[in-house]
Amino acid sequence: MAGVNLQLRQAYSIAQFVPTLSSPPPPPTQRVRFGISPSRVIFCNLRANSAAAPTLRTTRRSETIAASSVSSSVDSNSLVEDRDDVSRIPLLEVRDLRAVITESRQEILKGVNLVVYEGEVHAVMGKNGSGKSTFSKVLVGHPDYEVTGGSIVFKGQNLLDMEPEERSLAGLFMSFQSPVEIPGVSNMDFLNMAFNARKRKLGQPELDPIQFYSHLVSKLEVVNMKTDFLNRNVNEGFSGGERKRNEILQLAVLGAELAILDEIDSGLDVDALQDVAKAVNGLLTPKNSVLMITHYQRLLDYIKPTLIHIMENGRIIKTGDNSLAKLLEKEGYKAISG
Amino acid sequence: MAAATVLSRLSLIPNLSSKPKLKSNRRTTVSVRAQQASFSDPFVLQLAESLEDSHSASSSSSATLPLQRIRESSAETLLSTPWPSRKDEPFRFTDTSFIRYSQIEPVSTHQRNSEILDNLSETQFPNAVIIDGFVSNLTIGPSDLPDGVYFGSFSGLPDELTNRVSEFIGNFDSGDLFWSINGMGAPDLTVIYVPAGCKVENPIYLRYFSGETGDRESKRLPVSNPRVFVLVEEGGEIGIVEEFVGKDEEGFYWTNPVLEVVVQKNAKVKHSYLQKESMASAHIKWTFVRQEAESEYELVEVSTGGRLGRHNLHVQQLGPDTFTELTTFHMCVNEQTLDLHSRIVLDHPRGTSQQLHKCIVAHSSGQAVFDGNVRVNKFAQQTNAGQLTRSLLLKPRATVNIKPNLQIIADDVKCSHGAAISDLEEDQLFYFQARGIDLETARRALISSFGSEVIEKFPNREIRDQARNLVKGLL
Repeated sequence: MAGVNLQLRQAYSIAQFVPTLSSPPPPPTQRVRFGISPSRVIFCNLRANSAAAPTLRTTRRSETIAASSVSSSVDSNSLVEDRDDVSRIPLLEVRDLRAVITESRQEILKGVNLVVYEGEVHAVMGKNGSGKSTFSKVLVGHPDYEVTGGSIVFKGQNLLDMEPEERSLAGLFMSFQSPVEIPGVSNMDFLNMAFNARKRKLGQPELDPIQFYSHLVSKLEVVNMKTDFLNRNVNEGFSGGERKRNEILQLAVLGAELAILDEIDSGLDVDALQDVAKAVNGLLTPKNSVLMITHYQRLLDYIKPTLIHIMENGRIIKTGDNSLAKLLEKEGYKAISG
Repeated sequence: MAAATVLSRLSLIPNLSSKPKLKSNRRTTVSVRAQQASFSDPFVLQLAESLEDSHSASSSSSATLPLQRIRESSAETLLSTPWPSRKDEPFRFTDTSFIRYSQIEPVSTHQRNSEILDNLSETQFPNAVIIDGFVSNLTIGPSDLPDGVYFGSFSGLPDELTNRVSEFIGNFDSGDLFWSINGMGAPDLTVIYVPAGCKVENPIYLRYFSGETGDRESKRLPVSNPRVFVLVEEGGEIGIVEEFVGKDEEGFYWTNPVLEVVVQKNAKVKHSYLQKESMASAHIKWTFVRQEAESEYELVEVSTGGRLGRHNLHVQQLGPDTFTELTTFHMCVNEQTLDLHSRIVLDHPRGTSQQLHKCIVAHSSGQAVFDGNVRVNKFAQQTNAGQLTRSLLLKPRATVNIKPNLQIIADDVKCSHGAAISDLEEDQLFYFQARGIDLETARRALISSFGSEVIEKFPNREIRDQARNLVKGLL
């Protein structure tokens, strides 16, 4: 078993012709230190220009819009460093994350590094098969994947030690790309169960179906859905658009400090996309963050990202602002991966 | 071991016949026994005798004619029918030996247990309580049923109806030992009659109780044989709800009911069947349905009770353009066997039959059995028959034996069948977890949702809720 594993890895390392990485993986010694204490000390090394940070923090969204419209020559490295500030708390820190498909042992993630701070909106883009969706599934603990290296720290806790439901209760939410149908369980019951699980975790009183219903109705408006939506079974016979709206409804009801939206825009017409984007924007606060996974620039027109990451072959190969997406739209991934 | 017991049973027979009171009314039995002794199963004979005695012991009210006819033909069949063993195909996976090696005693018909009646929850439907095969409590006023509808014992049937009803009674040659035991032991015949064109709005609710229970220690197993006959004439419609209830969780008894339904031309019957006998009991039911042209029969079943629970279901098509829908759910959460043996026989063109059978086995000594036979005979052209069975095995060593079988002779038909056996879907479990719901709660929700596909088919809300709570309570 171990032998097979090794061989596979070697095969991959051969395939990895020295890539033009904008952020090379940290040396092995550093990796060990990350593993032990994912502390701020390490970020201090990276931090260069903290002067710009306060502005970024407070007027983040409007500024990114401005940045994207001004010029595309912003150096991605400085942008990353700008975000560093001792006073800021990283919500999510992913360090050199490696993961394989549990069944076939094929390695999909080959050292992903990503830091998300409170209140930021990140977008991960990349070709089909680059590992974007795997990355989001690994974050929420999908059993199809096994983490073989690296660390994920969420709100100071080691995410890898937590069960999927604990991750959810800790404030991590992933909207599924193709959410599964659950015949026989009504949307209303499902949401009530999930909502009460959260209440229990917080030590607050649970809501019975009637109390919960009135709580829900206000949330339905957020995603522009009718109340009969609640009586239908979870995702059963839902159109593509309804499924996506349902995912956002769940996000609206349950709340999350970090929402991972996996291709929330796929299969949506313009109206539905606007509804969904509006809902997501409405849920953003200075405290919570969003990690979007998408193929298309058009979603980013509605939900403005702080940073865009380009993923290729299991790694984030480039990070930048919205101009990166524009470049991508115009010239394709060739322009970035070279 | 088994051989020894059989022998000891054999040796019991002389003792039995020496009982004085047995001599009275065994004309048929005794004479035929002499001729066919070599083919007879002494145990079955003894059982037949005791069933017969149970009638003579009861009040001298002579049995009605059709009931006598049923008894006589059953007695004859019993002479040549041995107790089934695992070597007989219909009982290959269903072990009836715990009944066989209990002290089977036909219930004494005088016993009426009034405390059962006190415990009854109210229902909004016209209903009847059937204790040990007797209609004990008819809470049906004249206003509950439309004119011309009859519900009650055969003996109370108006004269002009007796002939119409009796022509259908007792004509079934595909029964087994248990069908005949019921025929021999049924103390009464309850009749539901719906005249032509009459649409009965509210369903008739039959609640079956066993008034007498034995106990596991002494192996005394009281058997009751309730029998109900339903005739719905041309264009009539009715809903029938059968509920079998165990008085207490450990009640040791055997219910061996028969329901016969005749759905005449263009008539409709919606049949709901809820089996929640005690976990120590045996429940072996026969449902025999005859469907004339353009008629509809829909069955929804939820069975959870009984150490052994078996439903033998036979639907016979008597004319073209019939519609049959069977939706059933068995759930084993104990050391128990739940069995559905269904047979749909299509002999006429353009029939439609849809069957869905689901079962859950959530105990490592639990077993579900399904033998689903659909026969599309030579003249049943343009039949549309679908059958699907899905099983969930939730514990190691939990067992399911599935035998879907379609026999198609006609050449212009649309038939499908499918069988799936699995654990819960990983993807679905993960979806719950991803929303903060722990695995245990997720499993429970998914298990009860598995059954709800069937439960939601119950035409009446009251029954739906009852079934839902039953399943929820068992998880």
